[in-house]
Amino acid sequence: MKFGRIFSKGILFDNPVFVQMLGMCPTLAVTNTAENGLGMGLATTAVLLGSNTVISLLRKFVPAKIRIPVFVVVIATFVTMIGMVLNAFVPALYASLGIFIPLIVVNCLILARAESFASKNSAIGSLVDGLGMGLGFTLALVILGVVREIIGYGSIFGTSLFGEGFQPATIIAMPPGAFLVLGLLLALFNKIMAKNVNEL
Amino acid sequence: MSIQTIFIILVSAILVNNFILSRFLGICPFLGVSKQVETAVGMGMAVTFVMTLASIMTWIVQRTILDNLGLGYMQTIAFILIIASLVQFVEMVIQKTSPALYQSLGVFLPLITTNCAVLGLTILNIQQDYNLLYTIVHAIGAAIGFSLAIVLFAAIRERIETAGVPEVYKGFPVALITASLMSLAFLGFAGLV
Amino acid sequence: MKDIIKMGVILLIFTAISAAVLGVTNSKTEVIIQERLHAENIAAIAALLPIAEDFELVEDATLEGRNLLVEVYEGSTGGEIVGYTVKANPNGYGGRVEVLTGISMDGKVTGVKIGTQSETPGLGTKVTEPSFLNQFVDRGVEKDFIATKGGEAGDEYINAITGATVSTEAVTEGVNVARRVFEEVLKSR
Repeated sequence: MKFGRIFSKGILFDNPVFVQMLGMCPTLAVTNTAENGLGMGLATTAVLLGSNTVISLLRKFVPAKIRIPVFVVVIATFVTMIGMVLNAFVPALYASLGIFIPLIVVNCLILARAESFASKNSAIGSLVDGLGMGLGFTLALVILGVVREIIGYGSIFGTSLFGEGFQPATIIAMPPGAFLVLGLLLALFNKIMAKNVNEL
Repeated sequence: MSIQTIFIILVSAILVNNFILSRFLGICPFLGVSKQVETAVGMGMAVTFVMTLASIMTWIVQRTILDNLGLGYMQTIAFILIIASLVQFVEMVIQKTSPALYQSLGVFLPLITTNCAVLGLTILNIQQDYNLLYTIVHAIGAAIGFSLAIVLFAAIRERIETAGVPEVYKGFPVALITASLMSLAFLGFAGLV
Repeated sequence: MKDIIKMGVILLIFTAISAAVLGVTNSKTEVIIQERLHAENIAAIAALLPIAEDFELVEDATLEGRNLLVEVYEGSTGGEIVGYTVKANPNGYGGRVEVLTGISMDGKVTGVKIGTQSETPGLGTKVTEPSFLNQFVDRGVEKDFIATKGGEAGDEYINAITGATVSTEAVTEGVNVARRVFEEVLKSR
């Protein structure tokens, strides 16, 4: 499979959030602001890059019977490392993402990529796959985050858009808003994809 | 150890800070296993069982091994391995002792392993500094809240199946919008305690 | 059986390697994190007791094992003790609440600040706002503070926040821990 195809799969056609519906917990929880969405997306991408590459390199040494626990250990190691690095260098983001940093380890996306791609393909291919899926995930989170932040706080990446007097619909920044915006965006995504398929 | 604290933990976990509708823990099974009330009930029971056992085991490991050896950073790895092994073990036991139970519950168990709800709960138990009793109460409360949300959701989705939903909304979009309304309703519980 | 043991050993090896890698990362990042936390701590304490210039951790045997007490800093200017800051961690609604109280030597609260907490956003978190915390400022510390919804008058009464009873009581208890330590130990050091 050519690298370009592997990459674009993750961003669009097999987008983790809009198509595969994986990693829902962080998608809903940390997209109250665009910055949090971006931070979580990049952290997950970093873990994906690490775990996909290492698992691909180790694929000949892992007995099939215990591959899942071994994958989990590798993923958990990268998650813990990213957590430590975030706490040391970007403490504000670390505090905002909170419990969802260790929960990256149960993001079905990462284990799914390890099982379906990294354990069967070359290291370079796995790296590209991890990058594509990770960035696709990040893109989805940022879109969701931007929408929720604009309507829920009246700002984008922290910069206020409408000035002091604006009364934002804070409910969008709260749990109900998360479900609602994701549902609507999914419907929109379906509509766009359906239209494109019809025109092909 | 006060009854009041136990009551607060329960009310908080079931209603105010509902694991699915407020904390966003356990969304994957919530969306994936909630098309029928019967399967939702089965999932709820399996989750209750795993959550309680996992909470006890992870709490013990944290307090006896990780804390004393200064290995706090191994928490994520240790906890997920404990949960995965526990689920594996429970599945084997159920399969051998009660094939009937395995038929209804067994299928859900692997789904519970890579599930934010159980791992999230075990981490929260430690973060909120609960002793063993409060940890167990918290686990039971969280499981009840999870089951409540998933069963209610399944009941609504069964009805939606027969309603006229626009094409682009079919499946997950309308499910998410439904969840949004449920979450809104549960927001009303804030300030209860 | 032999198969299971072999699998178990392989898994153990991977976990050991992972533990080693994490141990190294931890030793590098832990230093940075601890330094930052210490600096933030000192900054918070200094803001609570502006009359003091220097701060020193109080290490006193009589303070050991006091329920809910985390640490006490002594604030001084020109060698003379002008007040103390006491950090307590009572149990709130969603876990421990870090309550930092500043008390001047003439027995008055100089300020209260909330550190880490996991209270309900929008309700319990109101206890972190100045509008609530300023109630404590300039009040005497001879008697325990009491959170009330009835609006009674009196120096020891603090108006509770509606819908956040547990959070309010936690913070009040945190300040009371500080008050008791001051009256019983620190005042006469």
